[in-house]
Amino acid sequence: MPKVPGLVKGLGVTLGIFGRTVKDGANTVQYPHEKESPPIRARGVIALHEDNCTACMLCSRSCPDWCIYIEGHKQLAPPRRAGGKPRQVNHLDRFDIDYALCMYCGICVEVCPFDALFWSPEYEYSEPKIADLLHDKEKLGEWMETVPEAPELEAGAGK
Amino acid sequence: MTELSERQQLSYIASQAADARLNVELETEGMTLNIGPQHPATHGTLRIIARLDGEQVVWAEPSAGYMHRGYEKLTEVRTFPQVTTLINRIDWLGSFANEVPFILAAEKLMEIEAPPRAQVIRTILFELSRIANVSLFLGDLGVQMGATTPAFLAFRDREYVLNLIESATGGRFHPNFDRIGGLKDDLPKGWINETTAVVKRLIGFCDENEDLLFGNEIFQSRMRGIGVIPAHVAEEYGLSGANLRASGVDYDLRRDNPVGLAWDKADWKVWTHPDGDSWARCWIRLQETRESCKIVLQLLEQIPAGPIMTKVPRIIKVPEGEAYVSTENPLGEMGYYVVSKGDLGPFRVKIRSASFNNISITPWVLKGVYVPDIITILASLYFILGDIDR
Repeated sequence: MPKVPGLVKGLGVTLGIFGRTVKDGANTVQYPHEKESPPIRARGVIALHEDNCTACMLCSRSCPDWCIYIEGHKQLAPPRRAGGKPRQVNHLDRFDIDYALCMYCGICVEVCPFDALFWSPEYEYSEPKIADLLHDKEKLGEWMETVPEAPELEAGAGK
Repeated sequence: MTELSERQQLSYIASQAADARLNVELETEGMTLNIGPQHPATHGTLRIIARLDGEQVVWAEPSAGYMHRGYEKLTEVRTFPQVTTLINRIDWLGSFANEVPFILAAEKLMEIEAPPRAQVIRTILFELSRIANVSLFLGDLGVQMGATTPAFLAFRDREYVLNLIESATGGRFHPNFDRIGGLKDDLPKGWINETTAVVKRLIGFCDENEDLLFGNEIFQSRMRGIGVIPAHVAEEYGLSGANLRASGVDYDLRRDNPVGLAWDKADWKVWTHPDGDSWARCWIRLQETRESCKIVLQLLEQIPAGPIMTKVPRIIKVPEGEAYVSTENPLGEMGYYVVSKGDLGPFRVKIRSASFNNISITPWVLKGVYVPDIITILASLYFILGDIDR
């Protein structure tokens, strides 16, 4: 069999791919018109479940670039049982994440002992002004609606 | 040598004399050419200073450091879990592979070992990041020579690998998935089947690329016999990875020193090439992508059941000591020398990244080549700027 020149072979590959593209459609997605849904675990934006947060500052301290700002104060809450002493609880005044600094590492979500932080795969929150990327606790609370259930695990996953 | 006739000899001597006369009359002056730091062919901000004599390079030197981010210093003020976030960004195309040697060094100091399931999953993700890294190289290689089609094919298939890494770890480029004592999370359901399909697709991509680019006569004439690095020079300059194996040195840390990872469970081959030219370096990488696909397919079938995390304290303090662990990363040998004083973070970390040593050979290999060949030689040496500057 005579040797096929490499140039001709390469053209064959290109033609084959062209045929496949005509038949099956292109791989590209026309972004603003059609959207790909990111996987469940995708690290898009951090959501805050405010009721669970006790302003313990663990996330703020473990953040590699310190982009979480927390302020809180102690206040007295009514007793659980009638006749008891009033309880002292931590109240969250401010919980800001600066997404201009965030490295999306997920350490804050991991260290939170009270399940107050969650990952959401939502990604469309770019802003014209960099200062608007500082999300306050109301905005972080709104992301809670987009948090999906954790995915099922592959067979053989043990405790 | 064939015998020259008297007439040929005379004409040869005449042409030599004419050249000599011309050189005396037109005394040429050296010219300094800066390639970079903003040149697209340098994959970032590497600057090559080349002194030219006509079209030939007389002297060349790489000038690194335009993107220095000070990771070795930054690790001293971070805790051990935070360091993995930083070192993800060293070689940003194969991020997961950067985490593994550091975590292994920390585990060596703590004298713990990841469970077998975590080791196999680590190896699979390691090889997937190698495939994502090297498939970009195979596409980009064409662009350096003016062929744009391979780049589109490479980006198309690399996307599938990145999607796999994202669905398992959560991050497309910066997984931050490796933890001291195991992995952050187990694999999501259906991941193994997806990976099998994608990796089979990637084997098809390798065949396509071989026909499209490596079989092309223009590509071959630009690559063969250009930028030859003999084995002893490669060893002296500390090259590693595919650049070293292309010079005929049979050295692969995956086979020679598989520390805490599961490469020995798969059946694969270390490729070497005797030539040591640009072509050999590219060909070795193509074969390695195939071998990586084979490793992933074999390991996917033998993931053992069990936990993915050993027992580690919630606040990780690494005991006092020093450890060096290196692995065979997509770009070459990457190692971390970790010194711990028993604190929350490392006392000092020395990062041995592959690209820094690989580009150190450029003054040697660029001497005497023509200007257009600088780009192909740099492309075949394959470096990532983050890996050079850290």
